[in-house]
Amino acid sequence: MAAAAGWRDPAPAPAPALSDPGPGPQERIAARRRRLDAKRREALGEDVELKVAQVEEEQRRSHKQIEESRQRLAKLLFDGTQMVTNIQVAADLREMQRRAEEAELKLQRVEKLENEAKSSTYKFEEITSKWALAKEMTIPQELWQLLNQQQQQCALLLEEKNKLISELQQELKNKDEQYVWAIKKQSDDIHLLLERMEEQIRLMLKNYRHELLQIEKAFELERRELLDNNRRKWEEAIQAHNAQELEYLHARMRKVEEFEKQLNQLRVQDEEEYNSMKIQLENDVQNLERQLQQMKAVYQLNQEKLEYNLQVLRKQDEENTIIRSQQKRKLNRLHSLLNNLRTKLANQEKQFREENHSLAADCERITGQCKEVQRRMRHFAISDAEKFTEVWLMNEEEAKGLMRKALDADRVIHTQQLGLPWEEPRYWFLNNTGPLGHYKVKRMATKLAAEVLTESSSGGQEEEGREKEKEEVGSGEGGKENTAKVEGRVTPLRNISKKTAKRILELISDESGFLIESKLLRSLQALGRHERTLMKLDSIFAALEIDSEDDLYQLVDFFLKYKAQEMAVSQSQGSPGAEDVTDLAEDREDGGSGAQRNKLKSPRSLLGSLPSVYFHADDVLKILKAFVRGFDKLREKDRSAKEVLQVRDSSKDEEYWKALAHVIPKPTLKLWDALAVALEEYYEILMQRASLLAEVDLLQQQNSELCLLLEEYISSGVNSKLLFPPTKWMDLNLSCPGEAQWVPRARARLFSAPS
Amino acid sequence: SYYIYRVIEDPEWSLATVPHLTELCLQHIIHNFEKNPILDHLLPEHQRKVLDRLSTDLPLAVTANLISDEDYWKRCCTERWQACDISNYGDSWKQMFFERHLENILRCFIPNTTDPNQVLELIPLCKDYVRKLEVDQFLPPVQMDQKEERDDLSNTGSDFGFGEVSIHHYDLGVLITALPHLEELHLTYGVKDCGMNFEWNLFNFTHQDCCNLAVAVKMCHNLKVFKLTRSKVDDDKTRLLVRNLLDHPCLVELNLSHNLIRDKGAQAVGKLINHSRLQTLDLCNNQIRHLGAQALARALAENSTLTSLNLRLNCVEDKGGEAIGRALLTNTTLKSIHLGSNNLSEPTAMLFSQVLAQNTSLTSINFSCNHLGLDGGKQLLEGLADNKALTEFNLRLAEVGQETEYLIHQIVWANREAARLGSLQHPSAKPI
Repeated sequence: MAAAAGWRDPAPAPAPALSDPGPGPQERIAARRRRLDAKRREALGEDVELKVAQVEEEQRRSHKQIEESRQRLAKLLFDGTQMVTNIQVAADLREMQRRAEEAELKLQRVEKLENEAKSSTYKFEEITSKWALAKEMTIPQELWQLLNQQQQQCALLLEEKNKLISELQQELKNKDEQYVWAIKKQSDDIHLLLERMEEQIRLMLKNYRHELLQIEKAFELERRELLDNNRRKWEEAIQAHNAQELEYLHARMRKVEEFEKQLNQLRVQDEEEYNSMKIQLENDVQNLERQLQQMKAVYQLNQEKLEYNLQVLRKQDEENTIIRSQQKRKLNRLHSLLNNLRTKLANQEKQFREENHSLAADCERITGQCKEVQRRMRHFAISDAEKFTEVWLMNEEEAKGLMRKALDADRVIHTQQLGLPWEEPRYWFLNNTGPLGHYKVKRMATKLAAEVLTESSSGGQEEEGREKEKEEVGSGEGGKENTAKVEGRVTPLRNISKKTAKRILELISDESGFLIESKLLRSLQALGRHERTLMKLDSIFAALEIDSEDDLYQLVDFFLKYKAQEMAVSQSQGSPGAEDVTDLAEDREDGGSGAQRNKLKSPRSLLGSLPSVYFHADDVLKILKAFVRGFDKLREKDRSAKEVLQVRDSSKDEEYWKALAHVIPKPTLKLWDALAVALEEYYEILMQRASLLAEVDLLQQQNSELCLLLEEYISSGVNSKLLFPPTKWMDLNLSCPGEAQWVPRARARLFSAPS
Repeated sequence: SYYIYRVIEDPEWSLATVPHLTELCLQHIIHNFEKNPILDHLLPEHQRKVLDRLSTDLPLAVTANLISDEDYWKRCCTERWQACDISNYGDSWKQMFFERHLENILRCFIPNTTDPNQVLELIPLCKDYVRKLEVDQFLPPVQMDQKEERDDLSNTGSDFGFGEVSIHHYDLGVLITALPHLEELHLTYGVKDCGMNFEWNLFNFTHQDCCNLAVAVKMCHNLKVFKLTRSKVDDDKTRLLVRNLLDHPCLVELNLSHNLIRDKGAQAVGKLINHSRLQTLDLCNNQIRHLGAQALARALAENSTLTSLNLRLNCVEDKGGEAIGRALLTNTTLKSIHLGSNNLSEPTAMLFSQVLAQNTSLTSINFSCNHLGLDGGKQLLEGLADNKALTEFNLRLAEVGQETEYLIHQIVWANREAARLGSLQHPSAKPI
């Protein structure tokens, strides 16, 4: 196909065909170079530059050869291509010329044709105009003549046209010939082109081969050189290497010798060390063997000892077994003994029970006796108390006398000795007479009841009652305390409204008539209502064993409380309510008498707020029953409590007596002490003065005697004989004998004092 | 017993001469390949054997999509054609076979006579392999008896309808649109080897043909190269074609050489240059005058894709030449321009000396067969003095004088060397 195309359009085809092999290898070489280089660059990085320079230096010859060949070939190729394409260019030129000629000819032809057409049209118009003339012709000859003329002219025109046609045909024929010639020429050209192409190819092939050979030769040469160079280098390197190796070997040998020497030395040293060590170790071994022997001996000894011990232990064991059997036997015996003892114990217990019975009987008897003793004791206690008050009063009197005396002394001291005004002190105990403390004088319950009943009837009576009571209570004592206490006791009763109390009492008297003896009842009829009630109550209280006012209070309280509980609890729970009441009573007795009152206060104040409590008559019996049940128990405790209360409180006594003793206050006593000391001193001084006065008298007597003696001595003749007569210096003394005499005398007194 | 019998009977017989069973099977497969094509299930060595022995006469319907072995197709090609150069066919024997087969059929296709199914049947077989279609002959419908064709096929149906029958050629539309990989299309509407049977109407590229072709080419989206040469393409047809080629996604090369394109057609092509991706444009041997050349120059001034322009054997003359030269002062993509045989003279040479001084992208210029004159040559030499890009400058028969031509040749040669070294050194100066 390509060949076919080439025939038609020969010019462009061979150019690429020929130019293909030319740049082909070069391009490939370049591409390869690029690729290789890229790879090396990647591998080696920057070092490539240097190496490139070196390699360029080394391979310059081959490179040069290649370059030369390449240039030569390129030139050849270019020339060849030029030569081949010259044909095309020539053809182009020819074609252009032909076209130009053609255009010119065409122009001429067109002009000619136009001219001819113009002339022919002119002639034709002439002819056609003559046709019009012919129509006008009437004479046949003229017409014929005209027709002939026309015919001739037409023939002329046709002839001209034909001539033109023949000319054009001639031209066409010429063109055909030209065309054929052109075809021939072109085919010639193509043949020439082919020839040139083939020749070019051949030439190129030859040249390429030649150049390739050249290049290969160059490469070969270069390679050989390179090889030589490298071999030389290699040999040099090998030699150097060998020399170095030899050196290393020598060095190594030397080192080996050195090391051998060192080794020997080391060996000798080690041997010595070894020997010494061996000896030492052998010694050690001997020592250890000796020790071993010793240990063996010890071991044997120990073994024997242990064996002996073992035997001993065995024997002991045997003994132990024997002992155990003995013990067992003993145990059996003891068991039997125990049994005997048990039977004995049972017997004894029986015996003791009997004894116990008898003793219980004794005990009862003794308690009876005890009670009697108690009664007696109470009796004695009362008598003791009386005695106590008597003794008290006596002692008090005595103490008061003493006190009075002391106060008098004090007054004397103050007024006479010190000259101070004296005031008689006022103490509470000064007015006290009789024993301290106060029995709770219990009003009788009936009394209280009467009081209550009367109080309610009139307010004035109440006041009186209280006055009376106060007098009763505070008889003999009359202290503020007592009044306060009494008041404290009365207040609780007040808390219960008198009306309520009265009503309760009246109810009780009315409803519990069965407790009164029939005889009494009958006799009561005669009395007034008030009295009757009182009497009734009296007998009822007797039956109920209500003696003291406390009991009465409790009764009233109980009523109120019962009522309150009844109100709180529903009616159906009557019986448990009663039980609760008893519990309350018990609680009260547990709290003790002191707390009792306080306890009672709170419910009372609570109950006081229910002034108009209505007690049903039917409930009274029930309440009484419950009260009596709780009250019996209470009574037992109360009694002992009462006894405790009756024992006097002697705590205040000491205080009282001490107060009596210390009627003179401490500052006064101190004053007295100081006064005593001062007086003592004063007295002593006075005494000294008295003694001194006596002494002075004595001394004056002695002095006068001595003066007499001195006068005797001085008057004697001895003095004149002496070298140094004392008279000379004694004159001085004599001049003032009064003053000088004092010192020796005092000294003499000092010396004489201890003797 | 058979062996024994054989051995006894024929002492020369040996077991070695008995073919293997596999061999027999393969033989059988080869013989019956047409009816029962078995290839993919065979072992590779057996496949090889079968392919080596398969007949090349097997119908394409069997072999086309089954056999991809190049050796088989090489056999097919060499048996059928004497000259075979697979470098023009993508280095593939199969592609070459199918392309040439299809081309042969198209060359011998006579409209209204040949069965169109002949082509249509081939489409499914060859559509995966055909990338280039190079048809240098289209036969017109039969009109007279005197037409003598070399191919036997054309002689079969001879006397058919006379003048009334349309004179249009085969419509390629069906075929081209069915070939998805088609990239190149070379067409020549003409008759080859007509000899003394020459008639003008054998070379009649009708308007209808042009319409059909234009529509078909428009549908062919993968087309890169389109050549329509020696087909009497005039201005109207050019415009028709250009209208359909506007904004074609792939078209890179357009060749309309040896036609009858005048200025209007050239203007249309100029429009196309800036509405496509054209890189190569060949308009040689047409009748483009200065108007057309000016239109092309205008397009060229704005264009940035075109690298090669061939206007050989036109008559653009100095006006056109100057216009193109002015366009090249601004253009920076065009590398090669051919203005040979264009009646150019000195003014164009003057302008091109400027171009040579300024432009750095042009590497090849052809001014052969013009009347540049001695002065024009000197001007060009001056312009070329500082140019380092130009590697080809053809001034043969341009009346510039031998000396100038020689000097110019020296400069260009030096440029070429420099370019070569540059291309070598640019990546690296390393010799092997």
